[in-house]
Amino acid sequence: MARILDLHLHSEASDDSRAPVEAYLKWLARKREERPLEGLVLTEHRQFNKSGEYRDLEDKYGMLILKASEIETEYGHILVYGVNDDILKRYDFKNVRLPAQELITEVARMGGIAMPCHPGRPTVGLIEHYQTKPPLEGVIGVEALNGGSKKGENERVAELLDQYGYHAFGGSDSHLVSFIGLCATEFDRDINSMEDLVDTLRTGGYRPVDFRPQRQQVDSSAS
Amino acid sequence: MALDFDKSILGKVFDETAFPPITKEEILEFAAALGETNPLYTDETVARQGHHKELVAPPTFVTKLRPNKFSPENLPKFGKVGFDGGRDLEVFAQVRPGDSLTMLSTIHEIYEKTGRTGSMYFIVIRNEVKNQKNEKVAVIDHRIMQR
Amino acid sequence: MSTVYFEEIEEGDEITPIDMPLSKDQVRRYAKTANMYVARFTDDEGAKAEGLPGMIAPGVMSMGLLARMISDWNQAAEIKRIGTTFRSPVLPDRNIHLRGAVTQKHDADHTVECDLWMENDDGERWVIGTATVAVPSKA
Repeated sequence: MARILDLHLHSEASDDSRAPVEAYLKWLARKREERPLEGLVLTEHRQFNKSGEYRDLEDKYGMLILKASEIETEYGHILVYGVNDDILKRYDFKNVRLPAQELITEVARMGGIAMPCHPGRPTVGLIEHYQTKPPLEGVIGVEALNGGSKKGENERVAELLDQYGYHAFGGSDSHLVSFIGLCATEFDRDINSMEDLVDTLRTGGYRPVDFRPQRQQVDSSAS
Repeated sequence: MALDFDKSILGKVFDETAFPPITKEEILEFAAALGETNPLYTDETVARQGHHKELVAPPTFVTKLRPNKFSPENLPKFGKVGFDGGRDLEVFAQVRPGDSLTMLSTIHEIYEKTGRTGSMYFIVIRNEVKNQKNEKVAVIDHRIMQR
Repeated sequence: MSTVYFEEIEEGDEITPIDMPLSKDQVRRYAKTANMYVARFTDDEGAKAEGLPGMIAPGVMSMGLLARMISDWNQAAEIKRIGTTFRSPVLPDRNIHLRGAVTQKHDADHTVECDLWMENDDGERWVIGTATVAVPSKA
């Protein structure tokens, strides 16, 4: 039963992270007040981690743990939720140039949902591609709040949301244990499974939430 | 550009460089350049009382060793410019004044990825550093990004 | 400067942060001692000719500074492994903020895993990484 989930993060299964899932869960247990998360969605790079088994950890930490993927297309990076065997048979997630439009349509048809992430980021985000290529059909929502983004990236997304009416969600894009849950998504209904998540992402009733600490002004000259 | 290259270059030693003995001054200057204040790296007298029994170099010292060849002649060129995409350092032994270090370099891995700034090709160059006692001192993996 | 023992460390502990201005001269000094005295690390015009916004700090200098942060926090810490990813070029004549946290403790060999990163005044992370650090035990 989860209302606030981090929809974008990488564990040691991704080639550029060393974070064990249990370390993420311990960190969240410690930071429960500042980052009140109830679930995580592991979005490993260029793969669906079929063998990843997290049932015991779910029970131990009282958190929902779901599995998804971050894949790469000619329109930038896309998060795929509701990955199943049909989708995996159809698309090789290791391919760094998957066909975005076809993938979005087909994934939806096969029971999942493909949602562009960090759309405001240069080259790997949607906004830049929309300047030179036709907009993608069938995009339901985008990751409006990404924990790893630079100044200005998340703000650029506001214009995108206005123009296309996309839903907005949030994720930490964490590769390091301590960055987990800094940005997340709050849902109006309980999410208990990937089916619930895909369903809700399709229909709406969610928004990004920002748990990053306020920037403190630091006097560097004093040190 | 397709990831097409002569795979026999992987794992082959393309350079072996022997460095002149490391001096105390080099160690002290490297420590100072990083603003280190730990006496193990900055104060010989105190360092002698410590568990290394002498001044030792800060852990990233080995990353300043420049081999004769940074990459092999037949390194595939996937792009015009190379950038530093990251570094992994594993430390096995301390570097001490007087050490004669040798570095062996190999191409450890080559792969393709799209990232923040475009389609990129990653080459991982591995440097293995040994000392005069033939002890493994460090292994450094450089991720070189080309585009 | 103090020794921090394994038993005194808790998962979640912050590594003593370092906030400092990074000057061009510091970068040049490092570049010199690191045998990297080339345009991209020493000269704005030369660096721009390579497509950079200006002279930058070498990636390994950032790694060295993060290693120093660990050393400042715990003078008996021995880095066994440190890995860094350079997310954006580190431009000098700016403040840098070195940060870290202990994320895991390993009882078997008295090592701790740490997250490490360098951020700018806006909280953007230029360099991120992790380290495995051996620390002394009272046992």
